[in-house]
Formats: sequence, C-alpha cells, structure tokens
Amino acid sequence: MPYRLGIDIGGTFTDFVLLNETSGDLHFGKTLTTYPDPTNGIITGTKQVLNDFNVNAAAIHTIVHGTTLVTNAVIERKGAKTGFITTQGFTDVPEIGRELRYDIYDIFLTMPEPLVPQKLRVGVEERLNAKGEVVMALTQASIERAVETLVGRGVQSIAVCLLHSFVNPAHERIIAEIIHQKYPHIYTSLSVDIMPEIREYERASATIMNAYVQPITDKYLETLEKRLRVLGFTGNIDIMISSGRLTTIEGARKSPVQLLESGPAGGAMASVFFGKLTGRADLLGFDMGGTTAKASLILNNRPEITNQFEAARVRRFKKGSGLPVRIPVIDLIEIGAGGGSIAHIDHLGLLKVGPESAASQPGPACYGRGGDKPTVTDADLILGYLNEKYFLGGTMTLDREAAREAVHRHIAEPLGITIEQAAMGIRRVVDENMASAARVHILEKGYDPRRFSMIAFGGAGPVHAFSVARLLGSPQMIIPVGAGVTSALGFLVSPVASEAIRSFVCPLDEIDWQKLNTMLRAMEEEGFEFLRHAKADVSKARITCIADMRYVGQGHEIAVPMPLGELSADSVAEIEATFLKEYQLRYNRTVPAMRLETVTWRVAVSAAAPEITPNQPGAEFANENALKAHRSVWFVGDSTPTETPVFSRYALSSGAVFEGPAIIEEKESTTVIGKNSTVRIDEFKNIVIDLHHAK
Amino acid sequence: MTTKYDPITLSILWSRLLAIVDEAGTTLQRTSFSTVTRESNDFAVVLMDKYGRSIAQSGISVPSFLGVLPMLTQALLKDYFPPESWAEGDTVMTNDPWLCAGHKPDIGLVSPIFKSGALIGFIGTIAHSPDMGGALWGAGGRDLYEEGLMVPPTKLVIAGAENVTLFNIIEANVRVAKQTIGDIRAQLAANEQGISSLMRLMDEMGMENLQTVAEQVIEASERAMREAIRKAPDGTYRYEYDADGDGLENPVHISCAVTIKDDEIFVDYAGTSGAHPLGINAVMNYTYAYTAYPIKCAFSPDVPNNEGSFRPIHVTAPKGSLLNAQKPVPLGARNITGNILHAAVFGALSEAVPAQVQADCGAACWCVVLNGHDTRKHQDYVEYFFLNGGYGARPTMHGIPTLSFPTNVANVPIEVLENSAPIMVTEKSLRRNSGGKGVYDGGAGQRFSFKNVGEDPINISILTEKTKTVARGLQGGLDGKKGKISIRPKRFIAPKGLDKLMPNEEIVLDLPGGGGFGTPD
Repeated sequence: MPYRLGIDIGGTFTDFVLLNETSGDLHFGKTLTTYPDPTNGIITGTKQVLNDFNVNAAAIHTIVHGTTLVTNAVIERKGAKTGFITTQGFTDVPEIGRELRYDIYDIFLTMPEPLVPQKLRVGVEERLNAKGEVVMALTQASIERAVETLVGRGVQSIAVCLLHSFVNPAHERIIAEIIHQKYPHIYTSLSVDIMPEIREYERASATIMNAYVQPITDKYLETLEKRLRVLGFTGNIDIMISSGRLTTIEGARKSPVQLLESGPAGGAMASVFFGKLTGRADLLGFDMGGTTAKASLILNNRPEITNQFEAARVRRFKKGSGLPVRIPVIDLIEIGAGGGSIAHIDHLGLLKVGPESAASQPGPACYGRGGDKPTVTDADLILGYLNEKYFLGGTMTLDREAAREAVHRHIAEPLGITIEQAAMGIRRVVDENMASAARVHILEKGYDPRRFSMIAFGGAGPVHAFSVARLLGSPQMIIPVGAGVTSALGFLVSPVASEAIRSFVCPLDEIDWQKLNTMLRAMEEEGFEFLRHAKADVSKARITCIADMRYVGQGHEIAVPMPLGELSADSVAEIEATFLKEYQLRYNRTVPAMRLETVTWRVAVSAAAPEITPNQPGAEFANENALKAHRSVWFVGDSTPTETPVFSRYALSSGAVFEGPAIIEEKESTTVIGKNSTVRIDEFKNIVIDLHHAK
Repeated sequence: MTTKYDPITLSILWSRLLAIVDEAGTTLQRTSFSTVTRESNDFAVVLMDKYGRSIAQSGISVPSFLGVLPMLTQALLKDYFPPESWAEGDTVMTNDPWLCAGHKPDIGLVSPIFKSGALIGFIGTIAHSPDMGGALWGAGGRDLYEEGLMVPPTKLVIAGAENVTLFNIIEANVRVAKQTIGDIRAQLAANEQGISSLMRLMDEMGMENLQTVAEQVIEASERAMREAIRKAPDGTYRYEYDADGDGLENPVHISCAVTIKDDEIFVDYAGTSGAHPLGINAVMNYTYAYTAYPIKCAFSPDVPNNEGSFRPIHVTAPKGSLLNAQKPVPLGARNITGNILHAAVFGALSEAVPAQVQADCGAACWCVVLNGHDTRKHQDYVEYFFLNGGYGARPTMHGIPTLSFPTNVANVPIEVLENSAPIMVTEKSLRRNSGGKGVYDGGAGQRFSFKNVGEDPINISILTEKTKTVARGLQGGLDGKKGKISIRPKRFIAPKGLDKLMPNEEIVLDLPGGGGFGTPD
C-alpha cells in the first residue's frame, strides 16, 4: 500500500494530491467543491484521481484531509445551537469581550455577536481563586439546574469555562461528567481541554467556538469516513490542523476548532517541504489567490506559530474585529490583495487597490461576467503578464478590451495617464501593499527581509512574486511543482503530532522544579500516548518544549525554546540566556536586572514528517519545444514594452537554464520573471529564479 | 523643492510612512511594562518634518495624543532647542503637562532625524509611564507638586550617550523604578526603530528629505477635512453639558459653542466651570486633542491624520478654567474631563450634521488603581484597571454594550487581575436596559464588583463619572441610566479620589449606559 492521498476543500475547488511513496510520483486532481454536502465532491474527485492514475482505493494507506468547513460555519453562523456554562456572575463575559474598539475614528463600527446568546449562557455556583483553591464548592444541584435549563432550551452542544479552571480543572470535569451521564447525546467542550490558558474571555471564546462547530464537524467526519470506506479504503484518516500538524480523526472530532486554518497551514507546510528539498531553511511562503494574499515565515525549516488568531472578523483584515481563538496557528499575515482586488481613486486623489474584491462573481472586468471595475487581474492582462487565450489552461478566455475599458474609465482618465501607466500603477500599489505587509511581519520578528528566499504559489502568486521579491530584496524565488494544489501537497508532508499546553505563571527564580518536571513529563506522555494511538512511529518522535516568557510586569510574552529533559535551578542560566537572545532579536535590546517569568508551557511530541522525493511524471521535452511564443510585456520602471519569451512549464525539463525576462505558463498559474535574473529548472522541476540585485 | 510625487508613488510612500510609525508603535507596546500602555494603547508614535509638523501618526493610539507630539516638538524648537542645537543620536524628554499631554505620567520623547548630516525631521513617542512618584495616580493630588516628578525638556540622550544624571533622578523618584525606566527605554527603542525603518525607505526610494512628501500628505489631509467641513451648514451651534465634577457637592459644567464657518470649525468653551480643586483639570493641549477628535470622527474618519487634519480646527477656552488649566492646579485625572468633551461637541454638531454624530457614551472610562503590600505573597503591587460604560447610539445603529469611547482602553482580564492583587472579583455582568431608549438604544453599562481577600488594606485610587449626571440622548433619544459606586458593608466612599479598601470589604461599581438616538416610539 504505497499511496497517500491529500484532499483539501477550499471555497471553490477541492484539490487532490496522490503520492506514490515508493516512486515519489505525484498526481494532481481538482473538482468543484460541492454544497451543501462537500463529501459528494470528495468522493467524485477521489474516484476520478484513482481512475485517472489507475490506483485502487485499497492501495492508499493514509488520507490526509483539510477543510474550510469549520471556518465557514463560524463565518456564516451555521454552527449548532450552543450553550455556555460559567462561574455565576460572569455569564456576560463572552458578550462584554475586551471593551476595546478596533478602529479609533469609526463611530459606526460593529462588534462580533457572541456565538451564544444571553439566554443560553448560565452560571453555576462555584469559585476557585487564582491559585486554583476551591473558595466555593460546586454542587450537583447547581450543575443540574444549569444543564437542564440549557437542554430545555434546545442546545446540542455545551461549552464550559470556569474562572481559573486552567489551574485546577476539577470543577469543569465534574460538569462534563454530569452532562455525559444525564445527556449522553449532548456534545461538551471544556476550556481546560481546548485552551488551558489564563484570560477568561479568550479561553471562553475558543471553547464556545469549539462547541459551536463540534456537532457539524463530527457528523461530517463520520459521513466522510463511511463514504471513503465504501470505496474500499481501509487505511488511516489524518486531519490537518491550524498548527501545521496532523491529528487523528478522533482528535479532530473532539477539538474541531483546531481545523480553522487547515488549508493555509497546508500551504505553509508545503513551503517547509520545498525549502528542505531545495536546501533552504529560511523562507517566505507567499500565497496569492483571488481575494487575499498570505505570507508565512519559515525559520530553520519550521513554520512560525502564533496563538493570536481571530476568526470571523466583522471587518476583514482588521485586527481586533473578530472572535479570538488563542490556539496554536501557523503565523500568517493575510492582506486584502488578490487577482480580484479592485483598484480605485480615493477621495484624496490617490490610487488604492483592495481590500474590496470582485472575487469570482462578477470577477475582474476581463472575465466578461458583468464586472466593470478594474482589478489586479485586468492590470496583469494589460501589461502582458497573462495570456487571454490560456487562462486556467485555456478553459476561459479573457476579454482584453473590457480590461482596458475598466482601467481607462476608472483610473487612467481621472489621473490623466495612459492605460498602461495606470495598469502599472495598479500593479505597483498592490505589490507594494504585499511587500510592505511582509516586511513589517519579518521585521517584527527581528529579521532582515533580504535574507529570505520566497516560495510562491496560489493562482496569482507566481504572477506577482517576482516584483514582491524585488521590493523585499529577496535573493531567490521558487515556484514549486503543483503550485495549483499546494495546500493538499502540504498535507502529505506534515507530521502527526500533538501539543499539550499548560499555564504555569511563575517567576523563574521561584519555580518549584519538581512540580514543573512532573507537569512536563505528564505532557510528554500525553503526546506519546497520542502518537501510539495514531499508529505513528514513536521511535523517531521528537519532543519540543517551549515556554512563553516575559519580564515580570510585562503583558506580552515571547516563545522561548526550553532545554529538554529534567529542569532544575541549574537550567536557569541557559533559559535566561535563550530568553535574552530571543528578546534581543525581536526588540534589539534587553532590560537589565529585571526578573523573568514563565506564563505558559507547550510540549509538542511529533512523529517525523514523511520524507518524500517528488517526481512529476510526464514526457520530457527538448527545451526548444518549450518556447511557445514571444509577447510584449511591460516591466516595472520601463517606458516601453519588452518582447519576452513565453514558455510552457510542462515542456521545460530539469536542468534548463535561461535568463529573464521570461513568462512561464501552466494551467493553474503564470510565472512572471523580470529582468536581471536567471531561471533554472531544478531536478524536481521546481522553477528556481535568482534575482540579481543592483549594488 | 523637488517635483511632486505622482498619485501612485505618493500612495505607496504614504502607506510606507504609516507602516513605519505602526511598526514602532508595536515595538513600544510589546516591550512596555505599563499596563496602561500595553493593554490600553495609551501611547502614540508620530513622524514629523523638520518643522515639527506631523506627517504620520500610529494607527493604534488614543485620542489624548492627537496633535500633542507636534505641539511639543514645535515648542521645543521655538523655546528650548532651536534647530542648530540638535545632534544625531539626541533624544529630548519631558513630562511637562503644558508642553506634553496634560499630566505627569505621560512622558514625551523626541529624537531628531538626520540624513547626510542635515536635520530632516523628528520622531516622537509619548506613553503613559507606570509611575512618576507623588500621590498615587488619580484625582488625589491637591496640587501639581503632589503629583510627582516634573522633568522640563532635557536631553535624555546626548549624541548617543545616555544622560545618566537624568536617569538617576527619575529612578530615585518613582515607585516602580525598573519598570518606569524600562518603559522609557522602550520608547527610545521605538524612536530608534522608526528612524532606521525610515532610512531604509529613503534609501530605497532615493529620498534626501521629507519635505516634498510632508507637504503633499499634509495638503491632502487638510483638503479632505476642509471639503467635509464645507458641506456642513454654517452657523454657531451650542450645547450645555453637566458632569459630575467630584461627584459630591462640586459638579462641573461644560459650555460649548461650535461655529462652522465655510471650511473651518471654531470651538469655544466660554462659560465652562473654573478650575476644580480635584485633579480633573485639563491643559489646553489636552482640551484641543479631545475636541479635535470627535470632529475628526464626524468629518474625516478615514483619512490618516497629520498636521493638515487639524489646521481647520480651532479651539479656545477661558484661561484658568477647567479646560485651560494654569499652574499649579492638579491635573492627574484630566482624562475624566477630556473623555466627556465629545458629548458636548457631538451634541452641538448634531444640529448641523445629525447623521455624522453619536449620542453620549457611558464615558468617561472608570479607572481603578490598587496599591499595597500583599503579606501572603511578600510583595508590593501597583495594579491599574479600566471599566467602560455603554456606547452611545448612532443615527442608524444601536449603541454597543461596554465599549470604550472616546479613549480606547481594554479591560484587564479577571484572572490576570486576581493574580496581581489580593482581590476577588465577585461579578462582571451587563446592566441590561441601562442604555437610553431611542429609535436606536444606547449600549448597556456593566456591574463590576470585587472584594479585598487579603490580610492588608488596599490603597485604592478611583475615578468614576456619571454617578450624578447621565449620558445624554440625542435627537429625542432618552438618557442612559447613571452609574453608582457603593461598598459592602455599607459606608461612604467618594466617587473620585483615594480610599482604603479593608479586608473583606467589597466594592460595587455600576457603570452608566449610553444615550439613545432619536425619539423612541
């Protein structure tokens, strides 16, 4: 059984990547995502890809799956009727939030509605203090009253978050036990399982979101598994989670909130993989689609992880306008820049692009579907980057005149410039927006943007990556194979792993080391237990231990890698030194003579990531045949267009080397390569471009 | 002067400049110790041209600092440090309330920016420090001198070398010296980072000075503001507003006249109460910031603010009054006064531009400072936290429960609070129906109560507002419910000032709801 299958459900398409682990052969497939039941599309697509490449379902030993189901359920408010139980006196915490506005000048702002309305939030009499000691005992009567109220009001799922429960989970566990005994059909989510960290609003928010999506995710995964079994599939199903790791189907059913960012996490993990493959440990992953662009930083072959995620923002891209979910998520910056982003002149007379997007309906003007606003794709067509006859491999013809008309009317005419100048302006502004966001992101982490090579994917990624890489000063960019199904490919190269999280707020010089070691060993054991259960190879498992630390008195923590094994007072010097190094890196200074404290400990136990050597089977062409045509292309800074060779990616063989400028077309995207660059097709058929920078 | 930037290049440059101040702001916030700075965004970073005119201000910030750093920098250039006295690597510090942001905890740091040896601009940061000595922060000081250390404009860093004497003086005068000094260093780091990011941008773009871009962005923001004001009907609009003052026998009154004339706005506070014995007096800089803020919200909310945004806005208040305080009246809790000015300005403007304003909020934000010694933990603590009332209704929308306005401060999580001070929070819940009814209702206020569960008394500095007065409705909307402060077991506690919360005493804070908008059915 040498096959693994990655399946990624996106908003529009469901992508498939079938890998033969013995030969490294990769096969790709794509179908339309089906609504309301996306398993229809999965089954159709799976049959198709198995049929196309003559593989039997029984030959697949693992299917790795990721989906936007959870995200969409939260955004569209299509989750289950959910109840919330908390300490008496605090039932309004989810509605009160943090009391902060996300835009200081907009008096007409709105805040996200809580997922659980007031009448489904009930209190129980109980109280723990900050040390986790019971100040008021929890009574059975109080729990039963609360649960009966909620069940009577028709909830399917209950979230429980009590004050200080992350220090002492006993009360939450008792409540779960009683719900389970009396109402076994009701789903229960405990904050101590979902996000055992200090800060009651954020912990409640993540727990409620988990409860809200649990019933639908559970049913969905159950159906999916059954239907895959019907095809004759007998292997494992792993699920991609937001942190770039894989969990079991049981893990996903228990804690579905982890699936929020599974697709983008797949993209980042694919970046890690291609980085390893091409010998680059530090990379910037760049994914640009129809409405958004995402960038993720890969450092030392690992994606950066954050726990500052927000879902369902009421104002897109505006930090603070969503519901917080402080679970480990791959650190992605997302900005409103995509092929469909609309260009306009604002009331200051400045050219702006996005974040409004024409999306796929009505789409850019050149789609000819009724869109008349100029978009980034229209500008790309006018500048000669895109081929109107080979868009999506020729399945769609673009209307150049419609693009010119839209750019003329909305941009060129008001600014008194030519259509090409206006198109170039759109291009410059959107590329600058992306470069600027990526630059800030990299600088915030304390690194020099110029040291990162870029790996680009997504429909519009390869079209824009070169200019963005130029602006950032990147030395190199890589367009990997399978750029149209990158997330699904990323699923296949992610490790099975679990992460245990515990709050341990304590100054470094006051730590009870024995207590800490006991806690850490228990966390490790949890991880190994998970791996054994997931049938992963425990012998090669790797433990990583991270403490979120800060100077005593600060409110923002930084993640500090901890030494493994038994910790003791002797470890303090090493821990301090690591903290200071990380702090210095981010903030370019340290604070003398301040005490340090740990806030949260995270122990991950990870199986080895699958090692694969990809091979895209297909006919090898002589490179001369790869040259399809020449066309006029406008490059940044030029006053006249350049006759530029256009290649077919499918006909370029490993070892080909040529100088930019050039255009390389493939079905899902177009790679635009500017001047002063060298293009090479590597042994895996990735396009590797060296950017020669002036100086 | 070089030729102007085209609209495309200008758009790119402007975004980059805004990104630079935001990035410096993030550094400041993440490295600071002060709860007020890090949880409550009580800071600002401003990039200025060589005349001290604002080009870009950090997006995260509070209104208190609108225009303050440019006013400070211009005053420094005029009265303290003329252009030729600045050297590369200098940083000037001051917390003079009249030059800076109206009370001593706000520290301003201004650094010059040099390019090829020429002074081309300034970057400044202002942030609320954890402590500046004197009485505990709040309305407790009887005069300016009880409110702690005052540092007149002085070079904190001289051509790259730290002024050790000044650091020593500060350290010797404040309660939590390491944290206060740590925050000053965080500000220095933010200034440095802003300068180095700016240098990278200028090198990339081949820029030698900031004047061309400064003129263009200032002109664009000014034009947008003037155009918006011009659309409003000319006239003088008045609003009379009562506020708590001390919340006992000595209330205050704000008299506000807003005159719209062509494309300019003049706000005059003649008729407003005189200086108050409590430290709730506002200096002119501060009054200006909190008056310009609602005007910006009403007329030009989406244009990045700079010098140009404020040129058409003129504010006057009688010298020596509550809103134009003179030495040596106490100023510590001037935020209570600043935070209610929007109600008077919106109230007056509602006659001219009713679709662009909101009803009064349950503001000002209530502030609590706890300080003492925790015998069980063998440590001293100073802990700040903030609570917000209901957000006022809008012409087309209800208000929002418990949302900070006009300042923008988050609450401190209960679990964090209980870890920091020997208290237990007994309730945090919405006061349903405390918002004023209207076509659109005001947002609800909240109840927040806590108990001293330690062995020692807790020094408490408290600032409330609208325990005697209310958040007013607009356009026929009803007023919100007023707030209340009480102690169990029952005894007297002043709504503003210093007190001691004894072990087992519980304090109950009921925050006011927001005003409604439009006559309800």
